[in-house]
Amino acid sequence: MANKLFFRSALISTILSYLLIFVGGLVRVSGSGLGCPDWPKCFGRWVPPTSIEQIPTHIDPTAFNIVLAWIEYGNRMLGVIVGFSIIIMTVIAVIYFRNNSKILYSALWSLFLVGANGGLGAIVVSSVLNPFIVSLHMILALFLVSVLSYGTIESYKLINLNKFSNILLSKKISISLIALWGLIVIEILLGTGIRTNIELIAIDNPLYSKGQLLDALNSYKYLHSVLGFSLLFLSIYLCYLFRDDFLGLSKQLIYFIFGMILFQIFLGELMIFFELPQLTRLFHTWGSSWLVGIIIILYNTLQYEQS
Amino acid sequence: MSSLNKKLILAFLFIFMLGSFGFYIIDKATKSRIDNIGIIGKVPSFSLTNFDGTVVTEKQLNDKISIVSFIFTQCEGACPIMSENISTLQERFASSGDIQFLSITTDPDYDTLDILNEYSSNYSNKNNWFFLRGDILDVIELSEKGFFLSAALLPAGHSTRLVLVDKELNIRKYYEGTVESNIFELQSDIVTLLNQG
Repeated sequence: MANKLFFRSALISTILSYLLIFVGGLVRVSGSGLGCPDWPKCFGRWVPPTSIEQIPTHIDPTAFNIVLAWIEYGNRMLGVIVGFSIIIMTVIAVIYFRNNSKILYSALWSLFLVGANGGLGAIVVSSVLNPFIVSLHMILALFLVSVLSYGTIESYKLINLNKFSNILLSKKISISLIALWGLIVIEILLGTGIRTNIELIAIDNPLYSKGQLLDALNSYKYLHSVLGFSLLFLSIYLCYLFRDDFLGLSKQLIYFIFGMILFQIFLGELMIFFELPQLTRLFHTWGSSWLVGIIIILYNTLQYEQS
Repeated sequence: MSSLNKKLILAFLFIFMLGSFGFYIIDKATKSRIDNIGIIGKVPSFSLTNFDGTVVTEKQLNDKISIVSFIFTQCEGACPIMSENISTLQERFASSGDIQFLSITTDPDYDTLDILNEYSSNYSNKNNWFFLRGDILDVIELSEKGFFLSAALLPAGHSTRLVLVDKELNIRKYYEGTVESNIFELQSDIVTLLNQG
């Protein structure tokens, strides 16, 4: 009963957090980050203004754009919903799982991360969208979905005692999966580095075309591509290691990871040749967050098998 | 159809819907930027003298995107920050021939052409920034009736706002000249106007 309850709340928190990363990405690519110049309120109101008359006199209405304000506020509202969802999850963990450190700590860490990232959101706004802080905001969100994915799969194992996979977590598989996860995190850091640099260059050179921006980037944009292809090969190797999984779940997951990496490379190339269309950027970022969570789920389906 | 296939189709449908939603929002945000710099008014005719002695009229604003401000050289509070910010913009848009800056002194008694010339050399490094002076009454009228900016108790009572004027002499938007986020906004609005042609 308690197991099911925690699993459900963890699953809902995870799904909502993934949606939150999508909406957060939408804020970045649509340039709505300053849609509300204050925090946590928007133009001094808990419900963003719908017309310029509603803005209190002490707040400068220059930056008011109703569309951008609501996009930014949508991100904050969803953030609050995720926060409440994680609070509920933590309460369940504290009541029923005080002796299960895996569950308890995943809940407490999620609570800490969601709170910290909410606070960082205030700094994002007050820093006038400093690209480093915006990227840090996204990286913290990735840690959050990692911990949530872990909590979700651990609680799923409690209610679902049948085997997910007949593959043992051998040293070879363990190292390959940990390497894949670690390299993907590095790849994401490189990617956010590229994005940060593009934004910094664009602030000083507002007239640069997208092509000029790419040219102005330092050489680690190539590292991002090279590492991307290395990840693809590593995932092919893992598909090979999982070839005998006739129970299927881990095989499906590793195929999904392979497909996702391939798709990410495709999106990456698309961005270079079609000059960074915003929707591609959004899915490229979002897809990377999926990989981070799915690898953790895959790893933990195997760990169960051995114990 | 197996339940896995059903789930996959649902997942793809969901992703597709999210994508469409994202596309819609991005498109809406792009359009809102253009709507947000709607026409507020028209720059009236004026005649002022630039620090190099040439006469500048409203015709100078034709076919250029202009950033207009009111300052005076002895001002110690807002003006240095405003001029510093304009200087940054001048640098960032240096490669465009379509942008110019006009700073009008609200203290023409003190700010002679020589003093404006000296002031200009502190901030401007291109000849697309005009430092203008004229009769104080004309300046007040231009500020209040032309740009809808308060001009009480001059020189210090001048507005600290920057005015964005498009190539057809339409006043498009105001920005607080001392606030970083407003300058950020102004910069992206200039790009929006430039992209519109």
